[in-house]
Amino acid sequence: MPSSRDLAVAVLREPLVHFLVAGALVFLVLSGRPPNATERRIVVDEPVLESIFNRYVQSFHRPPTPEEIDGLVQDYIRSEVYYREALRLGLDRDDEVVKKRMRNKMLALSGADAEAAQPSDAELQALLDKNPARYAAPPRFTLQQRYIGADTPALRAAAKAAIAAAKPGLAPALPTVTSAMPDRFDDASPSDLAAEFGDDFADSVSNAPVGRWTGPIVSGFGLHFVKIERLKKAPPPRLEDVRQSVENDWRFAAVRKAEDASFKSMLRGYDVVIERPR
Amino acid sequence: MRRRLMVAALLLGTSGLLAGCDQLKKVAGGKDVVVKETEFPERVLWGDTHLHTANSVDAFGFGVRLGPEEALRFARGEEVTSTTGLKAKLPRPLDFLVVTDHAEGLGATKALYDAPRLLIRDETMLRWYDMMHEGPAGSQRAMAEILDARGRNALPKAMLNQDGTAERTKSVWNSNIDTVERYNEPGKFTAFFGFEYTLMQGGNNLHRNIIFRDGPDRVRTVVPLDPTYKTTTDEIWNYMEAYEKATGGRVLAIPHNSNLSNGLMFELTQPGGGPMTAAYAKRRAQHEPVVEITQIKGDSEAHPFLSPNDEFAGFGVAGWELNNLLGNQPKVPSMFAGEYVREALKRGLLLEQQMGVNPYKFGLIGSTDSHTALSTADENQFFGKHTGNEPNPARVMQEQNLGTRKGRFGWHYLASGYAAVWAKANTRASIFDAMERREVYGSTGPRMTVRFFGGWDFKDADLKGDWVRAGYRRGVPMGGELSAGKKGAPSFIVSALKDPIGANLDRVQIVKGWVTKAGKLQEKVFDVVWSDPDKRKPTGGKVPAVGDTVNVATASYTNSIGAPTLAKVWTDPEFDPSVRAFYYVRVLEIPTPSWPAFDAVRYKLKLPPEVRVKQQERAYTSPIWYTPTKA
Repeated sequence: MPSSRDLAVAVLREPLVHFLVAGALVFLVLSGRPPNATERRIVVDEPVLESIFNRYVQSFHRPPTPEEIDGLVQDYIRSEVYYREALRLGLDRDDEVVKKRMRNKMLALSGADAEAAQPSDAELQALLDKNPARYAAPPRFTLQQRYIGADTPALRAAAKAAIAAAKPGLAPALPTVTSAMPDRFDDASPSDLAAEFGDDFADSVSNAPVGRWTGPIVSGFGLHFVKIERLKKAPPPRLEDVRQSVENDWRFAAVRKAEDASFKSMLRGYDVVIERPR
Repeated sequence: MRRRLMVAALLLGTSGLLAGCDQLKKVAGGKDVVVKETEFPERVLWGDTHLHTANSVDAFGFGVRLGPEEALRFARGEEVTSTTGLKAKLPRPLDFLVVTDHAEGLGATKALYDAPRLLIRDETMLRWYDMMHEGPAGSQRAMAEILDARGRNALPKAMLNQDGTAERTKSVWNSNIDTVERYNEPGKFTAFFGFEYTLMQGGNNLHRNIIFRDGPDRVRTVVPLDPTYKTTTDEIWNYMEAYEKATGGRVLAIPHNSNLSNGLMFELTQPGGGPMTAAYAKRRAQHEPVVEITQIKGDSEAHPFLSPNDEFAGFGVAGWELNNLLGNQPKVPSMFAGEYVREALKRGLLLEQQMGVNPYKFGLIGSTDSHTALSTADENQFFGKHTGNEPNPARVMQEQNLGTRKGRFGWHYLASGYAAVWAKANTRASIFDAMERREVYGSTGPRMTVRFFGGWDFKDADLKGDWVRAGYRRGVPMGGELSAGKKGAPSFIVSALKDPIGANLDRVQIVKGWVTKAGKLQEKVFDVVWSDPDKRKPTGGKVPAVGDTVNVATASYTNSIGAPTLAKVWTDPEFDPSVRAFYYVRVLEIPTPSWPAFDAVRYKLKLPPEVRVKQQERAYTSPIWYTPTKA
């Protein structure tokens, strides 16, 4: 992820931005002349030369030779002439590539500030409060698991009967099928269980009673009995514990939000009429 | 933000012991996270060790605009918007990710794209610049030309400006380090530092992914090694050794796409000819403990030419067996032996027999090599090799040539694969260490859980008890070594669970390779345990096919055949204690629809008959080696 400075540099290196934004600045601020397509004077003065020179150094990491400077100036003049003539002819107006490039540059400009911004604790806390579940530590299950075989109607019925008949504290009387599935988990999160058995199993366990054998619980492999021995629910998340995740989300969203906001503020300056054919 | 991160880095640096220790991570709030390793690996971790983003020269050229941050968020299970505007979310998050952008010209295409046009003097570069700015189609054409020029060593001089390149590489690398570190969360999700060293000789693929065990403080002391100027395996190993010496850190290399090396990846000789030296073999084994066996650009396990008796050889070789990576050199059958992993493992035994060192004693993983910043290896949600073949109606039949030659089409890409790691914790150190001891396996996409132990006294009864603990106590796990000294033949515990949300299993096989005293390379595939054994009796030494429930018209299948779990204690019936051998496990799923079948349903396509619409996905474990005491 580029820093704001890198982004700014990248943006200023863009040819179109160079001509439009940087060019505007050079003309407006340094030469005191507005950027105007109808302007017939092309002035290559010291600030212009300096900016040509600096951009060359930025790209090639050495100063241009006098011959190269001559070439760059000739090219600058050529570009200015073509550019202004093209504007005069309105060639920018129906050119999708030009439109898209400029749109991208505007986007980069609007996102750059957000990229560099530093959120306050209050902002991060607000984001955390909006969706505490997203940042909360998961509940932790300590449980035993017995795999009893592939999911068939007969086995389901047998499993239900076995659970109903099971004496308190004792496992249901159905044989366990040996498998590579761990038969006990210590402090496993629902996502640990989902990775092992699939989401459905994890969901069922999350809703299962604690302290006794229950089932049959269905997984991608078939049917299981489960006994949750201990369930630890996490306290609500504190910013100090989850700051990195919240800040990652904040920054990721902030860039997009800034782009959106900047678009909306520009949009306010326009009347948009959509005429639908009748 | 950069300033703030610099301050954070300084703070970390001054806290002495904390710096460089992966188990402890100072989070922004100033809290230490301690992740304990379990006694032995309890849960398999899934990840991708091979992913490209907008910072890769070719990925950017092919159109991707998503960077490492989006890649990391996606791998962690967040929804992101792909470059072509599609919403993308993994059905299940990954446990770890290595963003491996090409070191060569890191960020270069983006820089060319972003450069002031009037400063581009070179006519060829100007042409590419304009093509890239035309839009996605032009960009992909430009990229094909750039790759082709690279293959012919004909890149414009201005593009090879070393000083400029070095500075840009450092800047992109440092900015990546910041991003990766922000998303690394020990115990929950591991984000590694890494890059791809894209070594290529005349279009022949000798690529390596370089993965660091360490944190930002050490990794920041180096920059990725650019294969434009450093063009041999010796140079990357020098780089790795220098890094380890200077920082006390650790780094490993994972070769990939041996199937596109035109026989050069696993040579019997020294690179460039002459007998292989023990020194070379030793260095290679030391730095390259793992090989990527399967990925989007084909599968490198076994080729039918080399393994005519293996009816399951040849998975994902179509299109890739025609020529080398850039398609500028056709392949002839004599090259296959240096390209496919099973043969390489056999060659390793032979070389060890000849000179005492095995250069090819490596473990196996899969990974994607996706160039979309999205690690997708599921058939029903495959985002393609690069942005040009993110989901769209034309991608199955589109020509997909990395250079400008012909012969490969979209459907030749595989929605493959992922790396499975038996680590003792989800941290950089633990995952890296598991790779070093080769306790890893590769999958073509489905997340099957596979255990494999070798020992001398495993019995059927072991499967009734705590056999995982027994496996570690009385034997070695996948990637391990058995040496003689015990009576009888080695026995193996092998167990496979289907992907909990995927297809049932057809069978579990053990692939044995050995070398006779006369130096003849041999292999045999044993069906060890399979579904419906009562109905499927072996005939002529082979278990009959499992059947097929795939409905191509709806891109669906049912689990009415196959088994959810398979396990067995197996003893080699043909064991010869005086002969070097390796054993690895191959697990096959029942047939399932491939990604072109899903595309056909999604876009209502009529596909030509040659297109692969179903397949038996699989997992390959690292081998266990047997070495006689006196060979």
